Amino acid sequence: MPEKLEPFVSVRDMHVTFGERRHRFEAVRGVSFDIFRGETFGLVGESGSGKTTIGRAILRIYPLSAGEVIFDGERISGKISSALDRRVTQRIQMIFQDPMASLNERAKVDYIVSEGLYNVARGISREERERRVADALSEVGLLPEFASRFPHEFSGGQRQRIGIARALIMEPEFIVADEPISALDVSIRAQVLNLMAALQKKRRLTYLFISHDLSVMRFICDRIAVIHLGRLVELSETEELFRHPLHPYTRALLSAIPQPSPDYARSGELIAYDPSVHDYRTDPPAWTELTPGHFVLGNQKECDAYRKEIEGSAKP
Amino acid sequence: MTDNHEQPVLQVEHLDIKFNLRGKVLHAIRDVSLELYEGETLAIVGESGSGKSVLTKAFMGLNDSNGWVDHGSILYQGHDLARYTTEKEWLTIRGREIAMVLQDPMTSLNPLKTIGAQIEEALRLHQGLRGAAARQRTVELLNDVGITEPDRRRRQYPHEFSGGMRQRVIIAIALACRPRILICDEPTTALDVTIQAQIIRLIYDLVHRLHLTAIYITHDLGVVANVADRVAVMYAGDIVEIGTSREVFYSPAHPYTWALLSSLPQLGKKGEELYTIRGTPPNLYHHITGDAFAPRNPNALKADFIERPPFFDITPTHKARTWLLDERAPDIRPPQVLSRIQSLGQ
Ligand SMILES: Nc1ncnc2c1ncn2[C@@H]1O[C@H](COP(=O)(O)OP(=O)(O)OP(=O)(O)O)[C@@H](O)[C@H]1O
Ligand SMILES: Nc1ncnc2c1ncn2[C@@H]1O[C@H](COP(=O)(O)OP(=O)(O)OP(=O)(O)O)[C@@H](O)[C@H]1O
Ligand SMILES: [Mg+2]
Ligand SMILES: [Mg+2]
Repeated sequence: MPEKLEPFVSVRDMHVTFGERRHRFEAVRGVSFDIFRGETFGLVGESGSGKTTIGRAILRIYPLSAGEVIFDGERISGKISSALDRRVTQRIQMIFQDPMASLNERAKVDYIVSEGLYNVARGISREERERRVADALSEVGLLPEFASRFPHEFSGGQRQRIGIARALIMEPEFIVADEPISALDVSIRAQVLNLMAALQKKRRLTYLFISHDLSVMRFICDRIAVIHLGRLVELSETEELFRHPLHPYTRALLSAIPQPSPDYARSGELIAYDPSVHDYRTDPPAWTELTPGHFVLGNQKECDAYRKEIEGSAKP
Repeated sequence: MTDNHEQPVLQVEHLDIKFNLRGKVLHAIRDVSLELYEGETLAIVGESGSGKSVLTKAFMGLNDSNGWVDHGSILYQGHDLARYTTEKEWLTIRGREIAMVLQDPMTSLNPLKTIGAQIEEALRLHQGLRGAAARQRTVELLNDVGITEPDRRRRQYPHEFSGGMRQRVIIAIALACRPRILICDEPTTALDVTIQAQIIRLIYDLVHRLHLTAIYITHDLGVVANVADRVAVMYAGDIVEIGTSREVFYSPAHPYTWALLSSLPQLGKKGEELYTIRGTPPNLYHHITGDAFAPRNPNALKADFIERPPFFDITPTHKARTWLLDERAPDIRPPQVLSRIQSLGQ
């Protein structure tokens, strides 16, 4: 269980905008959440909802147009000192979605894995760098001699491990994992998930785990936030979310999970989300904590209905 | 549903497919036999590289030119497709009799032509439909695949459609020529869950409404449970188990099927390791002796390393290639965790 003291990462009213003037497009529209040290925080939503954008904005790849990101007590968004920038670059790392496309094909594994060190640890010797590469590779279950090979010589699961080694070599404390297993097949998925869990235990890592596969998230996430068109619509502890999904979009997502069991797979009804069910003209929605730790985006009337539902299902 | 008294629409017998790569020969499909029955949906599962695409592309003559059928037959309507060599022969099959829906909806559509023009092109090519007749059929097809306002939509370009809508268009094009067999190769891998669920339902409905026979390739076992009447499990270029969905999910018999199902995250417990299959699949450039899965099977028998197991019948619809089903075999049971599959989704 995560320690509920200080949030380790805090995203406050994050807005991210792309394009200029008439082409302005707000991909993230006022998102707030806290991640505690040692937990795995899930972010789920459909394609284009802004998941990757949030991850990249935390990593300072995209600037925020409003709001802020606090990391371990310090603001890291906007203008920051170069010393803090170096520290953040080392302490926060990202694992990318597609292991086939995200590695530089012309570079050897050795360079790919140690690239990040050139920015934050310029002074280190070649021997030291090689030792760290060997350590990082063996930590993810690859042989140190793989360092002299090229990415195309590896399978999908091995390539994803290389991507993880590249993040680990920086000795980060917080990792944004953007769909780290979506491109892998079932048997390799299990390997990568085990590896991430083992590293988390050993190094007390904190993860932001981005995915659209709720069945996998249920297995690894402590808490899950649901995002729709750049806004969070629900956030809660994982089991609570599966037991009492409140927002109609969350329900639609849950109804779409394909269960690997023929007798149940086809019996479930597919719920479509129709945003016009909300009547927000006179009573606009607010981010509301309905029960401790369970947040939902809803207006007064909706929240009253959600409360009734929770009370109803709590009775025996 | 499967009816074994029926004649199969497609019958594959002892098929071997090889590829030549810089002078070395890769044995991609190894002695596969398979029957496809009228009106059924057969799912093919197996890890990356197991031969799912190569096998089904052979039904349409779509494998790369460095590959060839080395042995065996593919019988369809009295013809042996394995003997087809010319494009002219294949054009009598491709699209008309057997059509394919591929993974990536963006690369399968021409970005410079309207959706309507692309469907009409298929109609002209395969059915000789032109003008008003082609337009009317296009609107019908778009309607069939659940695109609203088809008359307005047909005038739009692919970039104006979402990923899920583009995949619907690809399906409409595949259906344009009223094929008997529809092959879907990972049709939803690039889509997110809600859209994926809609496309799966769509394919399921179309198969039943239009009396199609479908082959559905995926490595997502959740999808398989949703769409398939029967499931074939492939490993290293061979079908190692085949049966109805219920048989394969609830009473799997081959150790590879056990391992595949055991590694489902849905069967995991938080804080515990997920089951993983150790090692890697065999190198298909080398000759394989015995059961190809034996080196990765913790309970492999001596016989597994010596001789390829034959298919043992478990029920009239379920069979598996494993020495475990031989009467002399020791009593090795599937992993305990698999009993939980029955209750998933409850
Ligand atoms: N660099 C960019 N320039 C302009 N628009 C962008 C850029 N990056 C993302 N967007 C837009 O922002 C929105 C959110 O995109 P984002 O990649 O964050 O979605 P996502 O939730 O990660 O989706 P997916 O599940 O498909 O990865 C989309 O509409 C996308 O087109
Ligand atoms: N043109 C080719 N030349 C050489 N080998 C090939 C060629 N096409 C396919 N193969 C090989 O045939 C084997 C089977 O490949 P296939 O594409 O059928 O796998 P698959 O089961 O569809 O995998 P995936 O799930 O990754 O799509 C693989 O070892 C592959 O490398
Ligand atoms: Mg993304
Ligand atoms: Mg394939």
